[in-house]
Amino acid sequence: MGLVQRAIEASGIPTVSITLLREVTEKVRPPRALYLRWPFGHPLGEPFNVAQQLTILHDACEFLYTAQLGELLTLGYRWRRESYSIPAEWGR
Amino acid sequence: MPLSRKIVLARLFTRMPLLGRIWARTANIAASDGVPWTPMSKPLSESRICLITTGGLHLKSDKPFDMFDPEGDSSFRAIPATATRDDLTITHDYYDHADVDRDFNIVMPLDRIRELVAAGHLGGLTPTHYSFMGHIDGPHVATLEMEILPELVARLRTESPDFVFLTPT
Repeated sequence: MGLVQRAIEASGIPTVSITLLREVTEKVRPPRALYLRWPFGHPLGEPFNVAQQLTILHDACEFLYTAQLGELLTLGYRWRRESYSIPAEWGR
Repeated sequence: MPLSRKIVLARLFTRMPLLGRIWARTANIAASDGVPWTPMSKPLSESRICLITTGGLHLKSDKPFDMFDPEGDSSFRAIPATATRDDLTITHDYYDHADVDRDFNIVMPLDRIRELVAAGHLGGLTPTHYSFMGHIDGPHVATLEMEILPELVARLRTESPDFVFLTPT
């Protein structure tokens, strides 16, 4: 997936990704990636947990503007041991 | 490696992520030189998003990914921005997608994005989003780089997203 991300960024479109395998991402070096130590198949968390999904999306959108070149940032959320609320900026 | 062994390994990695990490450390993954970079040009509320996943999602009416080729499948499927749960299915034997089957938003958050656009927090979404199958090995890596990615980039240019959000599985 990092290869896909690199190709898109190189074409002039900014990209941000989630990674669940830090070791692979360190080798492939995409422009901006957020690492979650979560089970495979769950980049935005658990089914129907809207606040959790929005939290990860919000972190990713923010990272588009704050990341340094090639930054791989670890998000510290523990799997199934956090309670999430809808990001304040996106509150309805 | 025979296909059945690969699928067993992939399922094992899903249950025991540590094994996956150990595999990743030893696997023959080419290290990249340099990092491409394009800065964001607009605020989020004016930016159009395109979603890309390697979760094996595709329209039920579309051709499934190839699960019989032990080297995987480097092709992608287009998913319209209007797709709903009932339109989509997953062809991907290399990870446990039971939770994605229940709620595809955990890999392709189309519902969340449509809500954010409706609320004015995001500028919009492109008419098309894309899904790969993720398992791409052997000669298919070159096919991906030489044929598939140029095709994807050409398609993206016609729909001009302001950024792309990518999710693995």
